[in-house]
Amino acid sequence: MGALGHFLERQGIPTTGISLVREHTETVRPPRALWVTFELGRPLGRPDDPPFQRRVTKAALDLLERTDGPLIADYPEHVDEPADFSGWACPINLAPTEVDSLAAEIDRLATWHDRAVAAQGRTTVGVSGLDVPAAGALVSEALNGTLPPAQALKEALDDLRAYYLEAASAFPDPGSPATRKKWFWEETKLARAMLALQPKLAASDDQHHKILGNLTMIPATERHRLG
Amino acid sequence: MVKRLKDMPGVEARHLAHIECPTYDDTPSLAGKPLAQRRVAIISTAGLHKRGDRPFRLGDGSYRVIPAETPASDLVMSHISVNFDRTGFQQDLNVVFPIDRLRELVAEGSVGSMASVHYSFMGAFPPAAAEPHAQHLAGLLKADKVDAALLVPV
Repeated sequence: MGALGHFLERQGIPTTGISLVREHTETVRPPRALWVTFELGRPLGRPDDPPFQRRVTKAALDLLERTDGPLIADYPEHVDEPADFSGWACPINLAPTEVDSLAAEIDRLATWHDRAVAAQGRTTVGVSGLDVPAAGALVSEALNGTLPPAQALKEALDDLRAYYLEAASAFPDPGSPATRKKWFWEETKLARAMLALQPKLAASDDQHHKILGNLTMIPATERHRLG
Repeated sequence: MVKRLKDMPGVEARHLAHIECPTYDDTPSLAGKPLAQRRVAIISTAGLHKRGDRPFRLGDGSYRVIPAETPASDLVMSHISVNFDRTGFQQDLNVVFPIDRLRELVAEGSVGSMASVHYSFMGAFPPAAAEPHAQHLAGLLKADKVDAALLVPV
């Protein structure tokens, strides 16, 4: 991110920016950065909190008047860690069973995804160009047959993960994002399929399969689940 | 609370500590007009793009175009990294791409105006792959009379 500050400012466009990882920004030294302590993936801090987001945006833009860069300003507000809902359990039986299939799991979530879309007015599914059942079929094919190209598999997985987490946000007792991610990794057939796919991808002769298996499919925080 | 790497969970901190960051000679900070007279563009590195645009790929240093009037429902994310939260984006576009907040700051007079087009890169780019695209982008921003870029990571 900070590299773009150098590139654009050197071409005559004044820049300011948000920094999520102070150590990285201290190394890259872009002209102006507002360091925030928010979770990665949430540079404006809090979803659905326009006044909070407006304060962050304004604080970053206010740095434009300064010409004493490279500078890093510390943003004074923090976001509390989400509450721990360790007792939370998915109230509907989505847990995989011996007779269940990925396709059935995807189908069972459809009504919840419909509710999530109705509530949010949008979905972030739609990277791969596949419909969700077809994305699921691609994952099943990768697991049980031939590996598709890594990019196609990555896009299908991005869509499926968005579909699952959006659907879970509409459950009767949706918990928090953290509990929904826990549910995803511990209880879904899809996560089980991804964990099972990892060694197959890592063992492929295709370099892009290896990267997907080793880096861009399983988050660092979930890799302990691999056998 | 304070997210220095040493305060983060071990796995996450180790992952971030292993990301190689480029170094540059310091770039002089340009002076400019007061914020209330500036035209601002948002440059995201969240791998955002309109549904149907080319998804980002490994090593991709190019950008995607996000016209200011793009509805939130048209935007998807194809960042190659899985090591950041996406549920915030699923809930509210503005937590990664504060276009409505910028619009409000323009309406209240704090910011002069908003660019007609905004842009997104995919932040895991090799810097050398992004530099020519960024140089080209600077020309496009000037053509849109933009005199401030707000860089938003993910």
